[in-house]
Order: sequence, then structure tokens, then C-alpha cells
Amino acid sequence: MGLKASRAVTNTAIHVLLIVISIIWLIPFVCIVLQSFRVENSGQVGYVLPKIWGTDNYVNLFQTDFPRWYTNTFIAAIITAILQTVIVLCMSYTLSRFRFKMRQPLMKFMLILGMFPGMLSMIILYRVLKDLGLTQENATPGLILVYVASSGMGYYVSKGFFDTIPMSLDEAARIDGATRAQILYKIILPLSKPIVIYTVLTAFMGPWGDYVFARYIAFGASAGKNVAVGLYDWLSKDQISNNYTMFCAGGVLVALPVTILFMFLQKYYVEGVTGGAVKG
Amino acid sequence: MASVKLTDVKKIYDNKVTAVHDFNLEIKDKEFVVFVGPSGCGKSTTLRMIAGLEDISAGTLEIDGEVVNDLQPKDRDIAMVFQNYALYPHMTVYDNIAFSLRLKKVPEDEVYERVTNAAQILGITEYLTRKPRALSGGQRQRVAIGRAMVRNAKVFLMDEPLSNLDAKLRNQMRAEIILLRQKLDTTFIYVTHDQTEAMTLGDRIVIMKDGYIEQVGTPQEVFDTPVNLFVAGFIGSPQMNFLKAKLVQEGTGYSVEILGAKIPLNADQVSVLSRKNIRSQEIILGVRPEHTTVLFEKAEGAIECTIDVNEMMGSELHLHLSSANDDKIIVRLPTVDLTKEQRKSLAYGNRMYITFPAKVMHLFDPETERSLIDG
Repeated sequence: MGLKASRAVTNTAIHVLLIVISIIWLIPFVCIVLQSFRVENSGQVGYVLPKIWGTDNYVNLFQTDFPRWYTNTFIAAIITAILQTVIVLCMSYTLSRFRFKMRQPLMKFMLILGMFPGMLSMIILYRVLKDLGLTQENATPGLILVYVASSGMGYYVSKGFFDTIPMSLDEAARIDGATRAQILYKIILPLSKPIVIYTVLTAFMGPWGDYVFARYIAFGASAGKNVAVGLYDWLSKDQISNNYTMFCAGGVLVALPVTILFMFLQKYYVEGVTGGAVKG
Repeated sequence: MASVKLTDVKKIYDNKVTAVHDFNLEIKDKEFVVFVGPSGCGKSTTLRMIAGLEDISAGTLEIDGEVVNDLQPKDRDIAMVFQNYALYPHMTVYDNIAFSLRLKKVPEDEVYERVTNAAQILGITEYLTRKPRALSGGQRQRVAIGRAMVRNAKVFLMDEPLSNLDAKLRNQMRAEIILLRQKLDTTFIYVTHDQTEAMTLGDRIVIMKDGYIEQVGTPQEVFDTPVNLFVAGFIGSPQMNFLKAKLVQEGTGYSVEILGAKIPLNADQVSVLSRKNIRSQEIILGVRPEHTTVLFEKAEGAIECTIDVNEMMGSELHLHLSSANDDKIIVRLPTVDLTKEQRKSLAYGNRMYITFPAKVMHLFDPETERSLIDG
């Protein structure tokens, strides 16, 4: 077999394998989308294709607490994304560009601290938030506080990226008359678009998909739930038969903004994930 | 335009390493001063202290009579060109040059005028809309110079601006910097490790080694009267030859004995040696390759050598010779007057004879490495 033929066979085999993997990977998503348009029965059924198609589940969603949960999640995710991005980027810039006493020990300390699972702090955080009146109906601001509080520790990837930007650019800008803040937003950030987008996306995704913390802090109060907690409750024994298709419709609406975001920003996201490591 | 004065300036890093020791220098208004020396000699550190990019550990730095030790770089009214250009990659050439002016909130029409004027002087008008990555090394360096030019700063600092360019471009840019200096007519401080750049550009040269100033002087002064072995070896290309010899005092006169040859010193040299009360001693004799005369026949007072290497440079030959003392000697021999037979005789292993007059000899103390006559 010639080189061309051998390459064609290898490529075909790889593509067939990838298509099979993609189909397996997409099955649950397709099922959820199909179930969300099923109107003949709101519980679980033994088939995939709806017998009667309709958007009733989407309409009914808005008769429930779903809009509230969605708003809670959206507010928490947006505010967290903004604050966490600002904190992470400032922290990364500081650790990348400034030399100060205890810098190395601080970085090591944060690295070790980050190795402990966040769940360990759950009970004490609940007590603190409860004392502050930020649980149950007021869970959203409490959650934002929790998400944002430790965000500085996630500096690794963006610091790694900033380290690859030559220091002489900062120095040139300082001589040109720029302040440190101006250097960050006029020079460093425009050169770090992938890492900024990566930071925004990861900061948004955390609260958007959080379940454990959100459930604990909402503590059963429907007004304080986020979508993950609220939708999951519909899968309880007494509710699943009435709400399963609505759960699927809610799932589609939750996935929609994130999917759109990723589709548009995927190029930057991949660059951001790998950028710190390989950018020369 | 401003004077710059450094008094006992020191740089000591956190790990206690002293990069610059007691640096004292006064740079006059509109003067072009070059800091030159090998890697790690402290020249860039000194420049960066003047720029405000490094803290000054001790001593004072004055620009135009004002102590600026604690001022931020932006408040020192200096402009700087970096070795790696340090252009902002996401901005066009125009935006790069305009950056400092916009930070100062200069009106946009004035920004336009100053940027286009600088671009015209530097010949980069057609590249103003391009990003730095679409430019060659020489064009990028011009942009970097343009960025510094538009600021009309008091002092212009240049940190090895030509070292990333190839040899041909470097020569061209060197000439352009000389022209630029005439146009800008401001104070320049230029750092380089290339002695040719230092000699061609500077009004005065500051030669540094291990954080110390070895000598300050005009290019002619440091070439003609190096104060120590380091300066003598660093300035000039090919570098000065150093030979083991003996200084002999005879009555009121002095002569140098080397490999059987005896070369009487001239009246000026004798006068300095007498004044310093220097007696007969072993010395290191320094002679520049271009001051050595090559003889094809043995002659009175000539030193016999063997040819090791013959380098053809076009207009001249560089002959690498070994003396009977195993001193290595390089001589420059213009090719224009050489006969065919003479060229043939300049082959590996053949014998040659060299002479040099007393006035081109540099005498160094082997222990202190300082010149016995100069400095």
C-alpha cells in the first residue's frame, strides 16, 4: 500500500471512530431535547421520540418558580464572573510582575490551600452566612460571596500566560507614562484576550452549574434556589411523574446560553487553556 | 535637553550582589555618552537606574540639577529605546508611537502631527498602519526610536538598540542614529557591548567592568591612552597585543627590551616615567595590530615571529603570529602593496619580523595591570 492510500485508510478509521464517539456523546443531549417537546405524558416513558410534539413544557416552566431560579443563577453567575475575573486578573498580574517579600511563600500557600476540597469549609460557611442573613431566600448574595471569596487562588493559568509577555513591554509603557493600572488594561489585557475569555467562562460556569453549595445554602427555600437545585427537586419521587418533561425543557434552557457562549468563544477558550503552557 | 549627574550611585540586589559600585559621572547637556563593557559589567543596570526601572541602592541621580532618585520613570522626562524594541504588538505603528502622547492627553491633531513628523524623519510613514509583526527588525527598531522621539524628552536612553540586527543593518542604523542625534540635539546615553558602536557614536565613552568604571574619555583618548590592560584590550579591533617585556632604566633614559630587541622610549614617555620614579621592571607591553610594521627580512631591532594563521579580510590581512616567548601577536597588513612573492611567503609556519616605534607602545605594570604612562 502506498503512502497516500495508507494515509487515507488511517484518516477514514480515525474519522469513523470520532463520529461513533460523537454520536454516543450526543445521545443524552438529543434525548433531553426530544423529551422537552413531548406533551402527551409529563412523566418518564420508555420511548425517545414524542408522540405529540409541542412547546407546552416550555410554556409551563414559566408558571413555576423556574424563572426565579433562572434569575438567581444568572445573577450569581454574572456577578461572580465579573468580580472573579477582575480579582483573578489583578492577582495574576501582581504575582507575575511585582516582586515583594513573601511572594513565593504566598503562592505556595495558596497552591497547598487549593488542594483541600472546598466541601470541607461548607459547614462553617453555612454558619457564617446564616449569621449574616445570607441563606435560604437570600442565598444568592451569600453564594456570590462564597464564589468570589477564594477566587484569587485561581491565578495559575493567567499568571502563566502573563509571564510569557515580555517585561520590557511594561517597562516601555512605564517610561511612556502609563500607570500600573493603565499597563494592565491597555497593554497586558489586550494581549491576553484568550486568557481573559477563559477566566470569564470558567468564572461563569462555576455558579451556573453549582449544585452542592447552592442546595446547602438555599436550605429548601424555593426563592433561594438556583436552577440546578430547583430542577433536581423535580426529579424527586413525588414530583417526577408530573415534572419530568418540564425538567428536560428547563435543562435545555440552562444549556442554551452556555452552549452559545462556547460556540462563539471556543477558539479563545482553547488558546487560553493551552496558552500559558506553550506560548513562547 | 538636560545634564545628568550620578554621584556615588550603587546598585545592590536583594541577594547582596553589588552590580554597580560608586558610579560617578557628569553628563553634559546635549552630550552623547556611551556605556560600554562586557556582559554583566553593570552598564544596563546603570542605564535602568537612570530610567527609573531599577531602584538606586545608594548615591544620587540628578537630571537637570534635580534629584530624581525617587521619581517614577514617567516623571523623569526621559525616553528609552529597548534592545528587543518592546513595541506593543496589538497596536499599529501609529498607535505605538502615539501611545505616550495620548497618555498625556495631547490633542489628537498634535499627536497626528508629531507622529507623522517622526515617521517622516525615520522613513516609516508607509508602515504607520501596520502592526509590529509585519515589520522587519530594522523597521521595528525605527518605530521604537520614533516612539521615544515624539516625546521630546530631556534625556534619550538607548539600551543596546542595535544588537538584535544583522551586521549590515547594524552599520546602517548606526549611521542613522548619528544623523538622528544631529536632528534631535539632545542628551543621549547609549549602552552597548560593541566597542565599534561606542567609538563611532559617543562624544565620550564610559568603559565598565564588574560594576566599576574603568575609564571615561573621548573615543580618541581611550584608544590612544588606555589606563589599564582591560581598556587597552577592550577598545580596538582586533584587540591590542600584549607581550612580556622588560623596562630598563639607563641613566636618565628608558628603553624596552623584548626578545633581544631594545627599543628606546621617547622623551615624553621618559619624562612621565621619571616623574613617577619608575625603575627597571618586568612589564606587559601593549601594541596595537595597526601600529605594527611587518618585515619580510631580518632587521636590526625586529622581533622574529612564526605565522600561525593568515586571515584574508579583503583590503588587509590579519596575521596571527607567535613570538619566541609564545606571545600571540596579531598584525594588520594592507594587501595593496604586497607583491606576489610576499603574499606567498605569508603561509603557516613561515618566519616574519615585526617592529614598532616607541610612540605606539603602551607599558603596563603586570601586577596592578595599570598603565605606567597613561592615566
